[in-house]
Amino acid sequence: MTKYIIKRLIGMIPTLFIIVTLSFFIVRIAPGGPFDGERALPEAVKRNIEAKYHMDETLLMQYGRYMFDVVRGDLGPSYKYKDYDVNTLIGVSLPNSIVLGSFAMVVALIFGISLGTLAAVKQNTILDYFPMILASFGLSIPLFVFAPLLQQIFCMWLGWFPTTGWFMNNNAPLRTAVLPTIALSFAYYADIARLTRSSMVETLRSDYIRTARAKGMKNSTIVFKHAMKGAMLPVVSYLGPAFAGILTGSIVVEQVFLVPGLGKFFVQSSFNRDYTLIVGVVIVYSAILIIMNFIVDIVYAFLDPRISYK
Amino acid sequence: MAIFKKKEIAKNEFDQVIVGTSLTKEAWKRLKKNRLAVVGGVIVIIYAIIALCADLLPIYPYDEAITVHRNLRPSLTKTAGDLMLEQEMKNMFFQAWRQGRLELSDQEDAQIEAWVKASKTNDVWDLVYARGMEAIEDGSFEWNSSEQSRIDRMLNQIATETQITVNRVSVQYEGQTRNIEAMDYEELRDLYASLLGVETDVLEESLYNEVRSSVGNEVRANDSTLSGDDLEAAIDMEMNALGEAGIHDRASTNVIGYIEQLALRGANSDVQALIDSGSIELPYEGTFDLSNGLHVELEVSLMHQRRYICGTDYLGRDLLSRIIYGSQISIAIGIVGTVTSIFIGILVGALAGYLGGKVDYYLMRFVDIMYGLPYMLLVIICMAIFGRNIINLFFALALVSWLTIARMVRGQIMSLKNQEYVEAARSMGASTMHIIFRHMIPNSLSIIIVYSTIRIPAFIMQESFLSFLGLGVQAPYASWGSLIGDAVSSMALYPYKLIIPSIVMVVFLFSMNFFGDGLRDAFDPQSKNQL
Repeated sequence: MTKYIIKRLIGMIPTLFIIVTLSFFIVRIAPGGPFDGERALPEAVKRNIEAKYHMDETLLMQYGRYMFDVVRGDLGPSYKYKDYDVNTLIGVSLPNSIVLGSFAMVVALIFGISLGTLAAVKQNTILDYFPMILASFGLSIPLFVFAPLLQQIFCMWLGWFPTTGWFMNNNAPLRTAVLPTIALSFAYYADIARLTRSSMVETLRSDYIRTARAKGMKNSTIVFKHAMKGAMLPVVSYLGPAFAGILTGSIVVEQVFLVPGLGKFFVQSSFNRDYTLIVGVVIVYSAILIIMNFIVDIVYAFLDPRISYK
Repeated sequence: MAIFKKKEIAKNEFDQVIVGTSLTKEAWKRLKKNRLAVVGGVIVIIYAIIALCADLLPIYPYDEAITVHRNLRPSLTKTAGDLMLEQEMKNMFFQAWRQGRLELSDQEDAQIEAWVKASKTNDVWDLVYARGMEAIEDGSFEWNSSEQSRIDRMLNQIATETQITVNRVSVQYEGQTRNIEAMDYEELRDLYASLLGVETDVLEESLYNEVRSSVGNEVRANDSTLSGDDLEAAIDMEMNALGEAGIHDRASTNVIGYIEQLALRGANSDVQALIDSGSIELPYEGTFDLSNGLHVELEVSLMHQRRYICGTDYLGRDLLSRIIYGSQISIAIGIVGTVTSIFIGILVGALAGYLGGKVDYYLMRFVDIMYGLPYMLLVIICMAIFGRNIINLFFALALVSWLTIARMVRGQIMSLKNQEYVEAARSMGASTMHIIFRHMIPNSLSIIIVYSTIRIPAFIMQESFLSFLGLGVQAPYASWGSLIGDAVSSMALYPYKLIIPSIVMVVFLFSMNFFGDGLRDAFDPQSKNQL
């Protein structure tokens, strides 16, 4: 098992490496550097600026320098937000995004698994149809439709929630987190509930469950102790893509509910062509994604004894 | 002879003709039984027909902005003029209430104060309008003279103002009649220069400056913190990103607009004379030959008689027509993107599956690594850096979405590789390419098509996601995502702008999902329990 974990850890390195390389070169081959347009500057000043940001070196040297900085954990200065470096900007906004993302994931998992299991156990009853109809809504309504609609209905018409604000800043109440979390988790609730239901139905039909029933076990014990472990496998392997989706989805939710998270910086920086900030945000997002995938793999290996650790 | 064979009637139970059913026939039968899927398919087809026939439908142009028709609410019965008048009256009733001329009960006064505090403008307007109209009815309220004259002026405007729409401008150019929209940048520039009587170089420079200043406005709109050198630098970067072709493209659009205006001005006096003489009936369509060689086809209609079933947007453009043209773009990107990703996926998957060995290993490792990338972020970067237009959007999406199809095709090909007919083909000396593209791909095509149907909604969602963020389709074009994105900022005041496009999009995605699921269940019944 330790060997497997180490192997997976080492396997994360090339992916991160490729992401950094790809982002670096996409940004560098883009037409126009960040200081090209400043015609008013005298040649010497411009040279000085370029020297400050090491732009007078060859592309390969710049790449090596950037790689070295990234390994040390320094993502460089922001070209547009002067006096800030990328680390500070990300450090301020990332906690908000992480809290929002984890809330959404937890809500999606709790509701998805419980309602999915309920639907599988009570097949073809109202308790099956209702969660599944809800899930097919979640599948078809895009996040950027759902989030504004929620805001329109619950903030504007009913007035239950404040329209904007985020509970981690300015002492806003905790309920500011409710709508963003619901919006972000809905699509993933849908997927998780459908997956749980189908794999639960499959598992409940299998031989070992029949044996357990024949032994006269309680229904709840069968479902929660015996079937649950096997039925969770597809759900666990779905969590990797779900994390990726929640990361990109949070960009929309942060925009609609004005949550001061990383997504806002990402969209802003791609409009401003703030290259270092773009690459920095992508690296952070990818690192989160890769670490999550890693954890998911380990959990999967724990749950499924058939998987080989070699 | 084969035709007659089918009609043979069985004489007894041992003599029956057994007609084999193909996979497709069987699947078709299963699909027809799935009622949700059939309904979904029908709705998808209706959408496709409407989007395809957008040019033939009797709707207003999607990019025609009438400034006085800004933000009109949707209405089936009232014309634009009625709505404008209604809005004006709402404002005036509110003013009158503020001045104490329009008297309401204490309860209503308190209610309005509460609404004003909660900035529920629409509720306030509706209430004062309803009460105000009642008050006018029973004579307890009268407009004062300035308000009355405003209303009269407006009524007059509504009754007389005409909108002249230029349908087509053509010109005698190098001996043949050409539609100006079909001309390229150089021809347009020369034509416009000769119409104005200026030097080509001078015109070219002023066109360039115009594009630059409009780019500057966009940059400022995106980031209001820029100023001075930073702003200049940002504009330069945008201009570089546009490139010569992009700049010429935008300049051409401008020139076409100018020539149309020129033609309009030229024809205006003739049209006005016709209207004043009362000899024409509105709406009127006609063609005019101008002295400067332009040949213009016009449509004259009463501007305020228009009906906006879905309302108008913040520039006074018809929302219905924007939604229909937006559907065209969204559906087209969904289909074209899927087809491109299928092509790449088939190529990579088939090569990996058939050749096996090292090729397979490296191709699949590459696919694995690509899977690990947060590809939506890469698409956003590409859009930000290489320019925001439809072609880039669609390339960026297609480049990252072939992975699943490549894996699927590889699996299919691997399972077909050892079939007898492939061996037979190989033993007869068929080339690898021939075997792959003539034998194996046609045999796995049905499953590929089914899976790609499922991909279309995802594609549309991604495109709309980018457009929502402002990184996708750019004005004057629209897509579902950009319509929703535009509406979000003003949804408190104009909820219809958000709700109508949302419903249109969600209904399509719903039907597409049901249809795709139905297709998959029909072709591949075993897959029912997968996501």
